[in-house]
Amino acid sequence: MLTYLIRRILIMIPTLIAISIITFVIIQLPPGDYLTTMINEMQSQGENVDQSKIEALRAQYGLDRPMYEQYFLWATGLLRGDYGYSFEYQLPVADVVGDRVFLTFVLNFATILFIWAVAFPIGIYSACNQYSLTDYGLTFVGFIGLATPNFLLALILLYLANIWFGTSIGGLMDPQYLDQPWSTAKALSVLEHLWVPVVVIGTSGTAAMIRRLRANLLDELQKQYVVTARAKGLPPFRALMKYPLRMSLNPFIADIGNMLPQVISGSAVVSMVLSLPTTGPMLIGALQSQDMYLAGSFLMFLALLTVIGMFVSDLLLALLDPRIRLGGGANR
Amino acid sequence: MLRSLLFAFVFAVAAATASAGEVPYLAKDVASGVLPPVTERLPQPPLTVDLAARGQTPGKYGGALRMLMARSKDTRQMTVYGYARLVSHQPGDFELFADILERFEVEEERVFTFTLRRNHRWSDGHPFTTEDFRYFWEDVANSPELSPAGPPNLMLVDGEAPLFQVLDERTVRYSWSKPNPDFLPSLAKASPLYLYRPAHYLKPFHAAYASEEELAKRVEDAHQRNWAALHNKMDNLYRMDNPDLPVLQPWKVTGSATSTRFRFERNPYFHRVDPEGRQLPYIDEVIFDVASPGLIPAKVGSGDADLQARYLSFDDYTFLKQAEDRFPFETRLWRTAKGSQVALFPNLNAADPVWRELFRDVRFRRALSMAINRHEINQVIYYGLAYEGNDTVLPASPLYEKDYQTRWAQFDLKQANRLLDEIGLPRDEDGIRHLPDGRPLELIVETAGESTKQTDILSLIHDSWLEAGIKLFTRPSQRNVFRNRVFAGETLVSVWSGVENGLATADTSPADFVPYSQQQLQWPKWGQYIETGEQSGEEIALEPARRLRALYYRWRDAGTRAAKRAAWKEILEINADQVFSIGLVSGVLQPVVVHSNLQNVPKEAIYNWDPGAHFGVYLPDTFWFGETPAKSAD
Repeated sequence: MLTYLIRRILIMIPTLIAISIITFVIIQLPPGDYLTTMINEMQSQGENVDQSKIEALRAQYGLDRPMYEQYFLWATGLLRGDYGYSFEYQLPVADVVGDRVFLTFVLNFATILFIWAVAFPIGIYSACNQYSLTDYGLTFVGFIGLATPNFLLALILLYLANIWFGTSIGGLMDPQYLDQPWSTAKALSVLEHLWVPVVVIGTSGTAAMIRRLRANLLDELQKQYVVTARAKGLPPFRALMKYPLRMSLNPFIADIGNMLPQVISGSAVVSMVLSLPTTGPMLIGALQSQDMYLAGSFLMFLALLTVIGMFVSDLLLALLDPRIRLGGGANR
Repeated sequence: MLRSLLFAFVFAVAAATASAGEVPYLAKDVASGVLPPVTERLPQPPLTVDLAARGQTPGKYGGALRMLMARSKDTRQMTVYGYARLVSHQPGDFELFADILERFEVEEERVFTFTLRRNHRWSDGHPFTTEDFRYFWEDVANSPELSPAGPPNLMLVDGEAPLFQVLDERTVRYSWSKPNPDFLPSLAKASPLYLYRPAHYLKPFHAAYASEEELAKRVEDAHQRNWAALHNKMDNLYRMDNPDLPVLQPWKVTGSATSTRFRFERNPYFHRVDPEGRQLPYIDEVIFDVASPGLIPAKVGSGDADLQARYLSFDDYTFLKQAEDRFPFETRLWRTAKGSQVALFPNLNAADPVWRELFRDVRFRRALSMAINRHEINQVIYYGLAYEGNDTVLPASPLYEKDYQTRWAQFDLKQANRLLDEIGLPRDEDGIRHLPDGRPLELIVETAGESTKQTDILSLIHDSWLEAGIKLFTRPSQRNVFRNRVFAGETLVSVWSGVENGLATADTSPADFVPYSQQQLQWPKWGQYIETGEQSGEEIALEPARRLRALYYRWRDAGTRAAKRAAWKEILEINADQVFSIGLVSGVLQPVVVHSNLQNVPKEAIYNWDPGAHFGVYLPDTFWFGETPAKSAD
């Protein structure tokens, strides 16, 4: 077990290095750099920018150096905990991100809970009542959630929340709490606003989860031991919970690693539409304006989450199901 | 005894401050001695805003004005709306008046003498003097580190920098050997040319003044590459993103900014007063909440803004009108003043030689223009409320002539077809014409992909062009890509808005109508040639365009208004006749949402960036909240 752990952790290092190179290259791929964005904007505002000033700015930002040099500067900075400098905000990246990370976690954690809370009962119910009217009905609802464009659903829910409950549109709290310290009222306001994005982001995740649980559970329910347990008079609910459900949990655990980045990147667009103060809109903005260090550091953060999530789900899987061999993956 | 004495004292102080017309928001600071009383804070003389002449009424102090912005960069809008400039435009005729300056004198449009107000102070209370002008000119504009490209373009006349003189503590003079008529208007722009900097604040960041060690430490602390980068970061009067940087605007950004909410509080040293001598602004705070642009109309419709026009468009009007029942606001319609809301720009510098030749043929440009049904566009997209016609000055401009707006802009397929036949562009059996080299006449029109309205309009044009045998394809891209393609000559026709100032007078620069900058989508390379001092780009290769350039010089060097007017007339004449840009509709209406309690916001007005600074020219510091009970949401 210990060697497995060590090997698993060591593999994470080259993975992250490879990701960091790819990230950096992809951010730099579109033509131009942050300066071109900035200059276009200044020009569209009627300001004149001449070529020599542009060159001087480029040197000032270090954008005139070759790409590999820029990469090494950034990568070695990351190791020292320096996330680079955001051109757009003219601040170190760490200062820019601020409490957005916290709100992102709140939002995504709530979303994952929502997905589970909805998908679990529906999945179990559908499996136990296969091909019933309710099975079809619930599955249909799940697919609607999957098929509706997130931003559309978001706008509709926002409008309804405003009309029915008077919730202010967009954001994660009423505007007056924005620059206040945390208080009960502020937290309540966050709760009042949280459900819209949670439902919107969550609905797209639930359908897949429902189908997976349903399929796995159906496999198990056919098996001999379930039939035996039933035959021996075990109450149906216990006969369901005790073994088959546990066996069908595998994909849930295996999914943890994927789910984190999926939810975070899925929430980016919704956050954009709802103007939530999370990291998503900031990442999109940084990518658009080629604010490369800010974007790069965000993406690295996502990558790190995925890698760690995978690691955790591997460990949990091993705990959950002894049939999974620890050495298997590495020997293959 | 002691208590009653103390009471009497407090009462006396309160009475004294009240009688001096102290601002309630600042009264506490004045009482405790943090701030001097208002009489000492105001310059001598202050600028008295003639409210009656503007159709406004004296107001009362207090309140916070909420507005919505889309990005944290929009803090600069506070500088735009604040609109305190050395000289400012007034609404209506857009004449210039001395605003921050006490007065200005102009000799032959080449010698400019500016006099500051006595005892004018920065928002931190430090005197605002000619030293601030000297610091900018000598230590910023002419510092090779801070301004590697030298002084701003607007301060150079044919490459010549002005002679700068400090005459005394309150007077400076800029003189050139040739006229520089763009100089004063550029000081009054929405994004103005700043001739001054708060020297006392910036000197510690300047290598010529700060000790080397201290400066090195500051650079290190701020994570900057060198002192120049640090100085530039601290020194951005326009962006208004540094709470420590003193300003002269009515409101200044405060330190407690989050990236989703920006707060601006009143500048206690602001130089304008109302007719009763009370210091402006009336409103204590301005708050910008950041929301995504798509959500802003919805937020405005739920009462989240007290004054809003930015990020609202005419499409939102019905929704906003409907929401008036539920929330206490009013939606007004102001007219925009662009030469054309949307215009097509044939690229006379297209890289493809066949297309380039065709675009340079005036008959082709006229045919393109005449094959557009502007009336249909107006009816379908703008409910018939806009003006149809060329990209030129609007009826409200003294230079306007109906002919400029209508020449070659009538929907006339027959004549368009006749012109195209005359050029020698034969049709094939499908009715599509062919280029001289045999390729089908398929015009790709590129947009920056920012507005669906543009693509809607293009799909209307598509149908009428097809009748003239021209196939239109729309290609939306992304602003950077779009611009770079135009500059490189890869684009055939591009879509953008027309000239910024449709209300030009004889004194306004006609630059938008003549080749002068790479940004002009109809002739980017010719513009670049002029902009870079003939270093790059291409020499102007079309007689009418050369003539326009010459007329610009004639306008600039003209001694009299009549001569300027004559130059303008010919410039507009040539533009109308040559159809260098194909204007569609202008004077589109801009919804402006105003809280029911907010007073002094004009009912009808012009919404324009330059000149006008959107709300700026109506002086938001004179807006105030009345007491009429708010209609509640329930």
